[in-house]
Amino acid sequence: MKIVIEGNHAVSYGAKAADVDVIAAYPITPQTQVVELLSEMCATGELNAKFIKVESEHSAMAAAVGASAAGARAFTATSSQGLLLMHEMLHWAVGARLPIVMANINRAVGPPWNVWSDQNDSLSQRDVGWLQVYCESNQEVFDTVLHSFWVSEQLMLPTMLILDAFYLSHTSEIVDVMEADEARKFLPPFQPKQFLDPKDPHSFGNLTAPDAYYELRYEIDEDLRRGIELMKKADEEFEKLYGRSYGIIEEYRTEGAEILLFTSGTITSTSRVVIDEWRDRGKKVGLVKMRLFRPFPIDDVRRICRPAKKIAVIDRNIGFSIGGIWAQEIRAALYNSGYHKPVFGFIAGIGGRDVTPETVSEVLDHVDHMDTPDQDVYWIGVKHEPVHSAR
Amino acid sequence: MSQSILPDDELMSPGHLGCQGCGAGNAMRFALKGLGPKTIIVMPACCWSVIDGPFPHSAIGVPVFHTAFETAGSTASGVKAGLVMRGDTETEVVAWAGDGGTFDIGLQALSGAAERNEDFIYVCYDNEAYMNTGIQRSGATPLGAWTTTTPTEFPKENPKKNILDILVAHRIPYATTASIAYPEDMIAKFQKARKIKGTRFVHIFAPCPTGWKTAPELTIELARLATETLMFPLLEVYDGERYVVHKPRRIKPVSEYVKPQGRFRHLQEADIERMQREVDRNWRRLLAKEAAGAAEAAQ
Amino acid sequence: MKKKSEKKRIYRGVEEMPIAAISESDMSWNKTGSWRNVRPLYDPKTSPCIAGCPAETNIQGYIKLMQQKEYEEAVRLLWEKNPMPSVCGRVCFHPCTEKCARGGIEEPLNIPAIERFLGDWAIENGVTETPENEAPRDATIAVVGGGPGGLSFAYFMAKKGYPVTIYEAKEELGGVLRYGIPEYRLPKDILDKEIGRILELGIKVKTGQDVGENVSVEEIGRHSASFLAIGLQKSRRLGLDGEDAEGVMTGLTFLKSINAGSPVSIGKRALVIGGGNTAMDVARSAIRLGAEVEVVYRRTRDEMPAIKDEVEEAAAEGAKLTLLAAPVAILVENGKFKGIRVQRMELGEPDESGRKRPVPIRGSEYEIMGDSLLVAAGELSNAQAFEKMVKTTNGLIVTDDIGHTTHERIFAGGDVVTGAATVIEAIARGRKAAKYVHARLTGVIVELEREKKVISMSDINEAYFTPTRQVATSHVPLEGMRNRFAEVKQRFTDEEAREEIERCMSCGVCNACDICWMFCPDAAISRQDGVYTINYDYCKGCLICQHECPRGVISSEGEDV
Repeated sequence: MKIVIEGNHAVSYGAKAADVDVIAAYPITPQTQVVELLSEMCATGELNAKFIKVESEHSAMAAAVGASAAGARAFTATSSQGLLLMHEMLHWAVGARLPIVMANINRAVGPPWNVWSDQNDSLSQRDVGWLQVYCESNQEVFDTVLHSFWVSEQLMLPTMLILDAFYLSHTSEIVDVMEADEARKFLPPFQPKQFLDPKDPHSFGNLTAPDAYYELRYEIDEDLRRGIELMKKADEEFEKLYGRSYGIIEEYRTEGAEILLFTSGTITSTSRVVIDEWRDRGKKVGLVKMRLFRPFPIDDVRRICRPAKKIAVIDRNIGFSIGGIWAQEIRAALYNSGYHKPVFGFIAGIGGRDVTPETVSEVLDHVDHMDTPDQDVYWIGVKHEPVHSAR
Repeated sequence: MSQSILPDDELMSPGHLGCQGCGAGNAMRFALKGLGPKTIIVMPACCWSVIDGPFPHSAIGVPVFHTAFETAGSTASGVKAGLVMRGDTETEVVAWAGDGGTFDIGLQALSGAAERNEDFIYVCYDNEAYMNTGIQRSGATPLGAWTTTTPTEFPKENPKKNILDILVAHRIPYATTASIAYPEDMIAKFQKARKIKGTRFVHIFAPCPTGWKTAPELTIELARLATETLMFPLLEVYDGERYVVHKPRRIKPVSEYVKPQGRFRHLQEADIERMQREVDRNWRRLLAKEAAGAAEAAQ
Repeated sequence: MKKKSEKKRIYRGVEEMPIAAISESDMSWNKTGSWRNVRPLYDPKTSPCIAGCPAETNIQGYIKLMQQKEYEEAVRLLWEKNPMPSVCGRVCFHPCTEKCARGGIEEPLNIPAIERFLGDWAIENGVTETPENEAPRDATIAVVGGGPGGLSFAYFMAKKGYPVTIYEAKEELGGVLRYGIPEYRLPKDILDKEIGRILELGIKVKTGQDVGENVSVEEIGRHSASFLAIGLQKSRRLGLDGEDAEGVMTGLTFLKSINAGSPVSIGKRALVIGGGNTAMDVARSAIRLGAEVEVVYRRTRDEMPAIKDEVEEAAAEGAKLTLLAAPVAILVENGKFKGIRVQRMELGEPDESGRKRPVPIRGSEYEIMGDSLLVAAGELSNAQAFEKMVKTTNGLIVTDDIGHTTHERIFAGGDVVTGAATVIEAIARGRKAAKYVHARLTGVIVELEREKKVISMSDINEAYFTPTRQVATSHVPLEGMRNRFAEVKQRFTDEEAREEIERCMSCGVCNACDICWMFCPDAAISRQDGVYTINYDYCKGCLICQHECPRGVISSEGEDV
């Protein structure tokens, strides 16, 4: 059924379609609408779930961990400061191998306070072991909730689906939503193999010495890597049933491209327009939409980049002193590829500064006029005081 | 003399890693006897996180979920919600935390859960310091006690936080103290707690010979003395209002409790007298609360 | 419960491992017993009541059986050391009660009342003896003297199946129990019943048989073994003129006359010399015959050898106690007793008995008038008849501590060996000698029992005992009694008995209170049908069990490192 809803509500509808059992969440701008709608759905009985109105995000993830450990399908949503506060428990969910799904609204981190879109919050969680999927549209958000549970419950690792603050969270788009019984054709009820059960008592998470901890971490790494194939498969199965597909990485007009532009989130939508413009002028440029960040699709990136001459990456985030995080990851993926391509890393949009078609064009211009980057990182549009000649 | 009424079943295996004379060992053993096998324990970082034994073994005979230090109240909320959604309303969820994870780092999650009246039993077994990390002071450390972070040159300068008052202020249906020296009382309280819905809080007094610098064989006697000297009274509070205070048959001076403990060895007579005055004052206050609660209930 | 583990699981490869740190079994592989350097052990000790009893009566044991409502088992356990509980419960000086550790909590157990209750129960319910047949075919046993010592020896031998003959000089058995102790302390029908039960073991009795006169000592000596327990039959004389005047007699003579049913006349005012049990028996009997009684004793009240209760009762019944006074002359008029002149005493240095010697105060003499003088100043032996067979010293038969005299087949016990002592002492010696005699006659080696530590208050954990008062023995006061010689001390009711036995702390003997099992932090003690077992695989040696055991059953010893 097609309705016009904002990104946050797409998350809510997604959770409802996934028939989640337990939601534990704490409000934070710009996530609040997610939990408000879910509260209503639980209150009216539209969604049969327990909503624990926890007193902080750390507790939200702890409660989700507890519920998941008890064998229930658990869900939460947060943003920025909340995500950071959860950090310890994000690790916990991974180590405990729990298939929790969380929606994170990408919002800049303080101080100073900033509620607008920025990817530092989620990307700085890159090493915890969560799967991360970056969404471009509200439809994608809705669908990704279902993909996430599908993959998580097979891998027994948690997944974070990510959407931009305001650009998606508070922007209404047409979303084709489905009810839980329809979604069940794709996503069966959660059947955990190990859960807290007095009839078969086990302890979870006892002190583990180096002689065994090492292998448990190895298992996480192995399993997370399997997430690439599983995400692809989820997408394929979903497409068979509902006709929509996103892949884990999307190539847009990359045939014969000399410059490949990598983007993620809503910058992708803007970039599509710019790529079309450049292509119309005969420029050989292509766009690569990064959807799956973790596990990082190393092989796909290598495959895609091989025929190009130059790689450009727009990062709406910064890894201080070393550059944009997507750019770092792409460079790392390409390093052992057997071939070398120059990777130009651009920073834009941090703290919600608009990334317009002009911004994207500026990026492509840079790359067009240089053979190799003369800097590791280019901050687009930093305001500098103009130099007075009379000094 | 008749045999005790304690149930026979042992839900805790021997071979656990508690020190010799570990009060927490007794606490867990009695609690499990009172709770029975339809129990799930949520355990944040505390001595029992280590006492339970290394992966892939566990001394506790019911399911245990080890969780982060400050999350007993929140993880337990989640576990209970998960169980109920799976259709299990009988299994009791029991948060099992030390004083560190309750009085200090875990207070927020506990308070949040209590305010929501989450349906679980929260147990704090109190050995009055961060023992698992090597005897550092906590909000539960009593005034004047030595710990590694309150050395004898500057022993603990603030009184013990009154955690029961804090929980009572949340008006939860049942808050109680219990002691390893009175196992039948403790077990009866767990059995009673099981029948109540909502947040139930049990504060167990569990001496630690290692951290208190006492001989291991004195663990039970110290717990008994704590109650007989009114340092740790046994009481129950229903709905944040109705107090039922156990009056010991014989009341002993605080000095009897303090003298055998190495962590108090540096105290002077004046310090002990001050302690006695404080204990007496708290006892009078407690009895007044009991009277006030009874008057309220009579209305 | 989680699966039991035999040993620590070490994974050989990631393929064997679960996806997370999920346990597979419990911690029982971890034998924490290796942590110990001391180990606790169940080490039953002797209850102080038992240690205090000359006969080692298993008081703790029979009380425990009574708690379990096994009265018959209880009385049989009692009879293993003392065949006459109904007697002793009434007349013994109860050192057990002085030693009872409950006295350290609030008051000792009223053991005499409990013993008497149990003995009387056995009589009422007709509990009979169950002898064993262990005697060699042709052994015969002789006992001279049918008092407590002789009856005891006879009982223990007959119980083993020996044919026993008691030679008793008087007309009936009982000795001091019948002819000395008055009816109001020990009713004759109780004595008869208890003796009757003993005789049912097939003991032959020859009364009116004074060995030395009617029967030769040699004849006695011809039995496989014999036991001499003739007691002390002679009264010590004051050595004053007028001691044979009318109205002056020995206390024993007086008591015998009452027992025979024709009490000697003592007039309105009777004076009693002496401070022992005989003196008290005499005083209280005289009161019952209507006389005003004054007891004269040369030391203080505390030093009177009589049982303290008896002195108190005598005083309560109206006897005047004149202490620190000794007679120096007997006043006689027309051949009849008139009074005595006494001299006051003060206490000087201790004599060989350890008591302070009374020293006369010059010029302190005065007179006490009376109608009769009853001398109960001690008893002496008359064992001359046996002196050709066994060694004596100062009239007392010499034995080793088993009771063996210098004659190979003759044993002895009771007052004739010890001098004036007690009923329970005589009973104890009778049993000890019997045990040895039986061993000798059957060639069985007697095992020495390991000396067990005796419990003291420091072994008791007071926290487990709520102070309660002793259930006191009810007395019937003399005033208003229709039969003035009726028994004064009353038997416990069933409730009183139940209440009092509950106070027994079972010192040194496990009574399955569960405390050790309860308080082990490692669940290393298991319980099964009241038996506790320490699992040394896990015991860490914290010794909480020892410290908490209410009754001192658990000891500890160093571990071999």
